[in-house]
Amino acid sequence: MAVCGIKLNKVMFSLSLLRNLRLRNERFVSTSLCRLSPEEEPPKFTPPSKPVIVDKTQTVASLRKFLSPEFIPPRQRTDPIKFSMERKDMIRRRKVVNLPEFYAGSILAVTMADPNATGKVNRFVGICIKRGGTGLGATFILRNIIDNQGVEICYDLYSPRIQNIEVLKLEKRLDDSLLYLRDALPDYSTVDPNIKPVPISPTGEVPVNEIKVRMRPKPWSKRWERPNFDIKGIRFDLSLSEEQMEHAQKWAQPWREYDMLKEYDTSKLEEQILSEVQLKMSK
Amino acid sequence: MSAMLAWSGRFLLQRGPGLISLRAAAESPAHSVFLYRTVKTTTWFDEHLTEDNQKFMRKSIAEEYRSQTAEKLNPLKDEPWPRHDWTEGSRRVGLVAVKLGMAPIWTKAGEKHVVTLLQVQDCHVIKHLSKEEFNGHTAALLVGGKNVSPFYRSEEHMEMFRNAGVPPKQKVTTFKVSDNAIIKPGTPLYAAHFRPGQYVDITAKSIGKGFQGVMKRYGFKGQPATHGSTKTHRRPGASGPGDAAKVFKGKKMPGMMGNISITAHGLKVWRVNTKYNVLYVNGSVPGHRNCVLKVRDTVLPNRKSSLHNPPFPTYFTEEEGDLEEDLYDENLFVQTEPSLNLT
Repeated sequence: MAVCGIKLNKVMFSLSLLRNLRLRNERFVSTSLCRLSPEEEPPKFTPPSKPVIVDKTQTVASLRKFLSPEFIPPRQRTDPIKFSMERKDMIRRRKVVNLPEFYAGSILAVTMADPNATGKVNRFVGICIKRGGTGLGATFILRNIIDNQGVEICYDLYSPRIQNIEVLKLEKRLDDSLLYLRDALPDYSTVDPNIKPVPISPTGEVPVNEIKVRMRPKPWSKRWERPNFDIKGIRFDLSLSEEQMEHAQKWAQPWREYDMLKEYDTSKLEEQILSEVQLKMSK
Repeated sequence: MSAMLAWSGRFLLQRGPGLISLRAAAESPAHSVFLYRTVKTTTWFDEHLTEDNQKFMRKSIAEEYRSQTAEKLNPLKDEPWPRHDWTEGSRRVGLVAVKLGMAPIWTKAGEKHVVTLLQVQDCHVIKHLSKEEFNGHTAALLVGGKNVSPFYRSEEHMEMFRNAGVPPKQKVTTFKVSDNAIIKPGTPLYAAHFRPGQYVDITAKSIGKGFQGVMKRYGFKGQPATHGSTKTHRRPGASGPGDAAKVFKGKKMPGMMGNISITAHGLKVWRVNTKYNVLYVNGSVPGHRNCVLKVRDTVLPNRKSSLHNPPFPTYFTEEEGDLEEDLYDENLFVQTEPSLNLT
């Protein structure tokens, strides 16, 4: 402390010299801040209390019970051993790379090894419009609009080239498949690539974004008003007349919901697989 | 169908033969519905058994299978046949496997391939045919896979399995083998018979498509849909030149498609799971899901060199018991490794 004091005095002295030298000239070194007379003792430095920084951008491990949809085997006459072997590989991969919980409508950033990209790594931010495939072949499609041009990339979830998947905004939409965003106004699928991650609550329900999109004028890539798509996230009243909407009901198959052979109740299977996955992931 | 027959047959037995007459049927139309089939075309094992005996039979048969399939009865232990070393040009036996389905895999270069998963279920050597017995040129081994019920099978068929001391199999195929590669009947065969990196040929019955036209069956081009063509859109067109004044033999025409035996040659084995006896074979193989197919070392001259010092004449668990659960090809990405960088 004493050494410090001496040094401080020296500095003050040299500063006052400087001032005297360039008395009437323009100053290029500001000395006004250090206007302490050498007699006055500097007040004792008290460090400010350390601020508690809560990093809300950090993704917290989800406490929700969530099973990725590709774990559920399709209903077919395949030997269950095939699915269990695939599951084993999927769990192994999940132990190496964090494949987070996300849904169609969530905004993701995917970092992927790409031999043709500069720096050999490609990061793409977009809105997930579809999750597809079962088992190791599970995929998801990210969509964004870059330079007024719609861009979609279909990623393999279990590809070893995927280095990181970051969920920037976790939310659901009214539909499980948002492929109709291709025919919607471009604003709905535009995502800023530098978007900051929205903090995710580790518990509770995943928020549902109940936005309804405005479509471009027809023709669309598919007739989204038809009942087989069963789409809730489009404002049909803006683009179609009532007559047209009524006409679309011609293709409705209302008896389908009573078809017991088509029913595939996965709730029990889901629980069973979830417990198996949790057990193996914790090992 | 057989269940139907069995049911109607039993019904007749209960009624007794007195009722079965055309006149009686004509008099009582309500009964006539059941009185069509008087000729028995099938037999069933529980024909003369009480319910308790049926149960006992099912239980005892299952136990017998288990003991027969278990390795303690491996005939290699009591008296194996003399073994020979692998030489260039030897032909090994193959396997009978069941198709499980398809899945993707990735290489270390980040490329995606598809593989077919084949499971080797209860595959045993059934019979050895010497050169003279088979065709005078090579020896052969009969190999069977996938246990099935012993009932509904002929006595000659069952005898073959009884001699080998194994349960009856759904499929029995013949493999031509060289004289130094013969194996004692009753020896179990495992997926580790094939090793990652080698190439195999797979033979199976393709999926039946029924009677199809030439466009689907042979990929003919068909005729235009419009521009004045009438009733001629998917038809074969001309069937030969005019000068010959005949249709040549082998002319491609509509007919039954699929349901024939097809061989897919030169498929690479990417991975072998020794615990569940699963082979991961590159690409697609003929046949539907759960079909039983025949796997053997490839005959392609350029791919034969992939066979370096294979387990000969087959893989015996007693000798190489310390094999890892999964054997991988050297270029295959293993899921426990970190993500690829591709630098």
